[in-house]
Amino acid sequence: MRIKDIINFLKQPKIFVFAIIWMMMLVVLGTLAQKDMGLYTAQNRYFSAWITWFWFVPMPGGRLTLVIILINLSFFFFKKSIWKIKKLGIVILHLGGILLLVGGGLTAMFSSEGNMVIEEGAQSNHVEDYHFMELAIINTSAVNFDEFTIFDQPLLKRNQVLAHANLNFEIEILNYLENCEPTKRTSPAGIQYKGMLKNFILNELKPEKEDNWNRPGMIYKISNSGTNADGMYGIFLGQSISQTVSVNDKDYTIILRRKRTYLPFSIELLDFKKILHPGTDIPKSYSSDINLIENGVVRKILIQMNEPLRHKGYTFFQSSFIEGPNSETTVLAVVKNYGRLFPYISSIIMCIGLLFHLSQKLPDLFRKSKEKIAV
Amino acid sequence: MAIKLIFSILILVFLQSCDQDNHIRTYQLAKTKAADTKPRFEVPEKQSTGFNWTKPASWIPSFGSSMRLASFDVPFSNGTGDLSVIQLGGTGGGIEANVNRWRRQLNLEPQSLSEIKREMIENKGGLGFYNVIRITNEELGSAFLCAILPAGNQTLFVKLSADPKGIHEIETDFISFCSSLIISI
Repeated sequence: MRIKDIINFLKQPKIFVFAIIWMMMLVVLGTLAQKDMGLYTAQNRYFSAWITWFWFVPMPGGRLTLVIILINLSFFFFKKSIWKIKKLGIVILHLGGILLLVGGGLTAMFSSEGNMVIEEGAQSNHVEDYHFMELAIINTSAVNFDEFTIFDQPLLKRNQVLAHANLNFEIEILNYLENCEPTKRTSPAGIQYKGMLKNFILNELKPEKEDNWNRPGMIYKISNSGTNADGMYGIFLGQSISQTVSVNDKDYTIILRRKRTYLPFSIELLDFKKILHPGTDIPKSYSSDINLIENGVVRKILIQMNEPLRHKGYTFFQSSFIEGPNSETTVLAVVKNYGRLFPYISSIIMCIGLLFHLSQKLPDLFRKSKEKIAV
Repeated sequence: MAIKLIFSILILVFLQSCDQDNHIRTYQLAKTKAADTKPRFEVPEKQSTGFNWTKPASWIPSFGSSMRLASFDVPFSNGTGDLSVIQLGGTGGGIEANVNRWRRQLNLEPQSLSEIKREMIENKGGLGFYNVIRITNEELGSAFLCAILPAGNQTLFVKLSADPKGIHEIETDFISFCSSLIISI
């Protein structure tokens, strides 16, 4: 009885109607909010959130609303009345809708995006995330390799203590700044300050509208090293000279950087070409001549606007470039999207469903119109 | 009934939010090449000084004397270096006089032009060929990295002052900065 009640409740078409109306409202609100809070924040607050807060009132976020729609569409199949040949078109249409939502779910949960920056003549085998940071502590003492201990963004918050068996010390985060600016000290620093903090302080700035314009920074304390490396340090994104500490004959480099994902292959930039519209600074096309290097096999490929490279689930789009004094640097947007094919497949399925439904209904429609004419 | 259902969904949402990943990763990589950790450079800056340049993102503009075309505080692992750009007419006194002036500032004996030229490294940048020289006094714990860049009928002098370790760390950025200098149009 209880299960039947649940099924009856969940398969109600009005849930779908209310949910889709709410989703449309979220789209409008999110689009308007994006102007003030930036794309990434608006996306997170309205579309990727389970719960969206309007002042102190919790409302279903985009993710929860879509899950409700998915559940509602799935429970549609519990209706006994649909399992007829006459309703086959509707069933196929619902299947297409479910597949579209499943694809969206896969994209939301498992896809990643970032960029790969390669200077002409150089190689890269990693993608840097647009939004997430990581604290990399690199033990550079070995001759042939570096040992990386990476603390991801969720751990980078005030009062968090970072420790790992690879490290001979602990790091306590005294403050994590979403956006900051290093400023020269006006008075001498105390002896507890080490490295950059001897001469600089990190001033907290208001976060920028666009998340990736921020320069995150961190004040941290190294302790329990048993050496004079103990003390307070500062670090920020883009610091040209990394902080190094020596603890018990081991050298560590500490870097705050964008989260890196290493790829099972490398890309070498052979040449970057930029063509402008004649007499203007408006780009007509950009392209990157690259070598895709995998297991020692080199393959020459051209990546240009609207012609990305797709390899091993990753898609590399020509995104931007940096003009240097001696050479150019290409910026490739890299996307890994497990749900990439779902929109295409589900659209085709929904079209088939609609055509099927139409082909079943058309003879009836023609017959009715003929009857009307006859009357 | 509906309340129970909504409550169950909220519990599911809550459980989904519980992050079980410990967010610590470890891996080993072959020794990184310099290019891998190379700092990002900002876009070229358009200056009112008659020259444009591209500086590393971490260099912070500072206030130097009025003689200076530009000044930067340059952070390194153990402190901050001071970088100045000065523009003088003609050859600005020449290589020998300027290098020996810098050497005297570090309590070092003057050198002859041939000795100086032996220590100079030639580079090519936006203003053409230029020379870079490193002057170090280990006892004093101070060092200069200087570049002399002919620019038409004038000469630019770029001087970085730091400790010897800092000079070594900043050298690549220094050369990139000097190479990026161009006459603005």
